[in-house]
Amino acid sequence: MNKLLAAAGFAFLWAAAPACAAELHVFVKDQRGRPVADAVVLATAMDPKGAPRAKPPIDAVDQVDKQFVPYVKPVFVGSKVRFPNSDHIRHQVYSFSPAKKFELPLYGGTDAPPVIFDKPGVVVLGCNIHDWMVGYIYVSETPFFAKTAASGTAAILDLPPGDYTVRVWHPSMQRGEETTSRRLTVSDGAATNAEWQLDLKPIPRIPRVSGAASPNYP
Amino acid sequence: MQWDAHARKAHARKARARKARARKARAREVLARHANHVARAFLFLLAALPQAARGDWLLGADASLRHDDNVGNAQYRADIVEDSVIGARLSVYQALPLGESYSLTVGGDLGGESFHRFTGLDNASLGATIALRKKWGLGAFAPWARASLSLARLDYDYSYRNAWNYRATLASGRRIDDRWNLWADYAYERRAAHAGAQEVPGLSGDAYSQNSHNLGAHLQYAWNERASVVLGLLARHGDVVSTTAGSARIFYASRALAEDPAFGPEDYAYRIRATTYGVSIGLEFSPTAHSALGCAFARFETHADGGNNYTKSIPQITWDYRF
Repeated sequence: MNKLLAAAGFAFLWAAAPACAAELHVFVKDQRGRPVADAVVLATAMDPKGAPRAKPPIDAVDQVDKQFVPYVKPVFVGSKVRFPNSDHIRHQVYSFSPAKKFELPLYGGTDAPPVIFDKPGVVVLGCNIHDWMVGYIYVSETPFFAKTAASGTAAILDLPPGDYTVRVWHPSMQRGEETTSRRLTVSDGAATNAEWQLDLKPIPRIPRVSGAASPNYP
Repeated sequence: MQWDAHARKAHARKARARKARARKARAREVLARHANHVARAFLFLLAALPQAARGDWLLGADASLRHDDNVGNAQYRADIVEDSVIGARLSVYQALPLGESYSLTVGGDLGGESFHRFTGLDNASLGATIALRKKWGLGAFAPWARASLSLARLDYDYSYRNAWNYRATLASGRRIDDRWNLWADYAYERRAAHAGAQEVPGLSGDAYSQNSHNLGAHLQYAWNERASVVLGLLARHGDVVSTTAGSARIFYASRALAEDPAFGPEDYAYRIRATTYGVSIGLEFSPTAHSALGCAFARFETHADGGNNYTKSIPQITWDYRF
């Protein structure tokens, strides 16, 4: 009976939470003022005791047209990520990143087991068959994060009111994400707006098509 | 009596020439039969291998426009002719991963070239390739090696140039980092053409058959997300075909001689032994994930037997698409 009451109480609190939660709306632009897509915005509570412990969800990074989709995927630490393969060919997904080293042997469809990302940090994904395939998983320590859309905007909803350290990360950023760190206070029921400018540099990418150099192609 | 002796010698010479012609005809027959067997084997592989394992289809199309400032590989200014060539090719390959380290690629391509001035050189080609690739390790930066065999049939507008082309290639390379990519290759190439009529007794009319050894080294630098620069070095040793009005120097150095009406009614093609050195630089730009536009410039310098040296420059623009 006690357990039932506790569950009901938790459900009530969870349902009521948005009413007393804050929102953080962010716009990220580059050094030329253009909107930046695929930037991860992270809000870390200054008082970690106040932050709810979210259950890590199961996320997915798909492979479509020999590309990782999405290109950047933020996940909460401890999350399981599946790597379904929507192509009609096989892929061999791997990562050498210190935050998570793994390899999924050649597979198609949804045959690959999920991978648990239990250490915070950036995980760079690759495919051993298709060298040009690159994707990023950002494993976040905080449950409050969002990714910018093509418009450069992102919103973190349902933030408990309080003080936060907010940072931005992007695969092409010239300087480390700690340089973007900013302290923000979000108030009950209010929306806080903030803007970041990132200095981006082009990432050299392995060309998918090369008339002169196609080691994958006879 | 003296006349009889001359007649006997002439008769003996003719008999030797007849025997030599017969030997060559038999050799051509064997070669043609061999080519047919090889072609059938390739077709069998093409048909059977995709059934044997699940592979990835690689479909490609490419087109090019190039200018050759010495189409006939001639030495003297009076003989040097230039032309522009439009080329196009469609290719279909199956890449079959064989475990973690090896992959097999089998496929074929259909191509064609159209010359602006020398339309007798217009040609179509149908080829097949089988390649085995080994990668030492996981990821884009693991070193790799590839061995491939290819066979192609070339049909020219002037059919005396028609040939079977055989090529065996060994290549190896390594992506050094995100920007630098280095690879090298060696290829043995044999072009087997029909021997033309013997124009000079004792000198083969098989001017368009060639053997060559080719070495290449390539370095690619990724400028940014879409653009790269490719530098290439080439060394080639083997037969070349030089079409000129003719001179004693090239005549005595040549191993075969045949008419070459694609260039003119009075022109002759000489097969000579030569070493070629080449350098190329190219820029590539990918407007989309599936395509690449390129422009390149190549310069070749050939040193042939008997001092029959020549140079050529080839600027070209290319478009490649992979589905």
